[in-house]
Amino acid sequence: MQIQSMHFKARVTDKLADSVLQDNLRKTKSKFVGKRAQAIQELPEFEATREAARAIRDRVLNDLDHWLLAFEQEASRRGATVLWARDGDEVCRLVLEIAARHDCRKVVKSKSMLSEESGLNQALEAAGVVPVETDLGEYILQLNDNEAPSHIIAPVFHKSKEEVSELFARRHGTPRKTDITALAREAREQLRPQFLSADMGISGGNFLIAETGSVALVTNEGNGRMCTTVPRVHVAITGVEKIVPTLEDFATLMRLLPRSATGQSISNYVSLLTGTRGEQESDGARHMYFILVDAGRVDLVHGEFQEMLRCIRCGACMNHCPVYQTVGGHAYGWVYPGPMGSVLTPLFQGLERAIDLPNAATMCNQCGVVCPVKIPLPDLLRKLRTKQIELKLRPWSERMAIRLWAWVAARPALYAWLAARGARYLKWLAGERAYIDMLGIAPGWTSTRAFPAPQGKTFRELHAEQAKAATRGAHH
Amino acid sequence: MSIQDSRADMLARMRSRLGRNAAQDAEAAERVAAALRAPVPAPRPPLPADLTACFIERALSMQSTVARISVMHEVPQACADYLARTCLPPTAVVWPQIAALDWAGAGIEVVARAAQGEDLTGITGSFCALAETGTLVLCSGPDSPATVSLLPETHIAIVDASRILAGMEEAFALLRREAGGVPRSLNFVSGPSRTGDIEQTIVLGAHGPSRVHLVVVG
Repeated sequence: MQIQSMHFKARVTDKLADSVLQDNLRKTKSKFVGKRAQAIQELPEFEATREAARAIRDRVLNDLDHWLLAFEQEASRRGATVLWARDGDEVCRLVLEIAARHDCRKVVKSKSMLSEESGLNQALEAAGVVPVETDLGEYILQLNDNEAPSHIIAPVFHKSKEEVSELFARRHGTPRKTDITALAREAREQLRPQFLSADMGISGGNFLIAETGSVALVTNEGNGRMCTTVPRVHVAITGVEKIVPTLEDFATLMRLLPRSATGQSISNYVSLLTGTRGEQESDGARHMYFILVDAGRVDLVHGEFQEMLRCIRCGACMNHCPVYQTVGGHAYGWVYPGPMGSVLTPLFQGLERAIDLPNAATMCNQCGVVCPVKIPLPDLLRKLRTKQIELKLRPWSERMAIRLWAWVAARPALYAWLAARGARYLKWLAGERAYIDMLGIAPGWTSTRAFPAPQGKTFRELHAEQAKAATRGAHH
Repeated sequence: MSIQDSRADMLARMRSRLGRNAAQDAEAAERVAAALRAPVPAPRPPLPADLTACFIERALSMQSTVARISVMHEVPQACADYLARTCLPPTAVVWPQIAALDWAGAGIEVVARAAQGEDLTGITGSFCALAETGTLVLCSGPDSPATVSLLPETHIAIVDASRILAGMEEAFALLRREAGGVPRSLNFVSGPSRTGDIEQTIVLGAHGPSRVHLVVVG
């Protein structure tokens, strides 16, 4: 996917002015949050399980090379072919080679974000292979001229049912439906013949299990099962970091993933797929391929951003992010939106091409609090901000201002003196109203709202006064 | 570099980033082998006292329907009753594993094979079931094709109450014991297929069955 993150600010302005999008975001914003809150209440061991999950992910990442070899050995033993790809182009080349080898003309796809990263659909189309997205959300997007997803687990988070209804009527030539059940039914009927006639199924992978050489797929719709059961060939494309050691570790992570993602205690279909169809079997793929992808992940191993590789792609961070919930996923300009995307996009695509993303956060730490594998997202965003300054990617004036601030902050007496002057100046500026309509040094802050003025005294002054009063009280 | 070199290149870069010497590398290999030999324990929700009751309660909450009978030979009649009640024709594709039950005696016409697109009802057994989440555990195999629980609009599954286990961990232990590991396709099925993609509103009936009926025996 072509990155657009360098245009973040312009895209945000568009999205804020888009009243249809704003309505849709308002309508859905609290649904995932409420469901997650309820689902974790039903599991008193949630916090202890989060800690265990963090340990499982770290165990893999700390010895990732050996875990990958263990996975490869077991997957090969079960009859699958394990391939490795350094980037999206290699993913596309490998998939096209597999398609040519097995004479595949039509591909049904279960959701794969790595396929979005790689621009796989365009590569398939260019080679004359028809890709059909089968996750309802992804299907809607493909139907709408290959629109990009706006959420990692709910790709059409930004669309209302009316928009889907209009799209289906136009593209399927069927009467307009207003009911979501009827829309899902229509998609089922459109996609069923595609499943039955496809030569290849492509899936992502929620996890790869080293012990058994399996890929785990977690879906509600059953399209993951369809793509991996009906066609002759199954290709699973996943990042190298998706390894989980054992089946027991997988069970632990499965207590967190659906709860954090959709607020379900379990997703409808959890499938472990291992190797190829046995001689006596009457269904299942005859050929199975794994493509283990780097695309920026290897460079994070054992570095200051390794914690990001723990991510299990649940989407909880974006569901709870005030920025994401206000601007929507498309504003971020690449495959992964929200806090996890603001960390991953600069790391995978280059900090200079996603310069505003680490700053698109209020540092409220909602994302860190809900992350099922305890990724300290605000810390990672702050590290990226530091890098921007170090690499001189931010404007000269901003760098100077930050340097000046750091110099003052390291001198407590000077800081106190300046802060007291600043507080009095702002109080004077605000006058009777106690609000400032236009702040000269930071006009952006007051362009859409008034700035509440300080009361005239700093926290340190108030604290000193109270301490003094308390001492006096104690003497009496 | 050719694509064949990708594996070597990716592994080499991982190793150089991890910065281990030969002795540390051997330790890493041993850590992996040890973790594979003995899984690391993790917190578990407490076990319910009555696994069957818990399974049924959770299965209902996942929108499965449930009938409870006492012995295996009542299964065909329980399936026939369900099909009649749901206004479905008395025909089904079944797992070869359960083909020997007296389906004709209950008036159901069955074929034992993998399912096809036009099959309306699929009847399967189950490897075991999980109380924690109301989940069926299905293993693919020559006598238990995976499509039977997937393609038909209605899925009826037979659950042996004595094989209702607490959670996934117990199912994995049983698989290792009885089958020597995981089958080609291991499916944990919890109720009818559904989607929440449009306006985060969950509706039943996506690509898999829109009805899942459990016949619990014992």
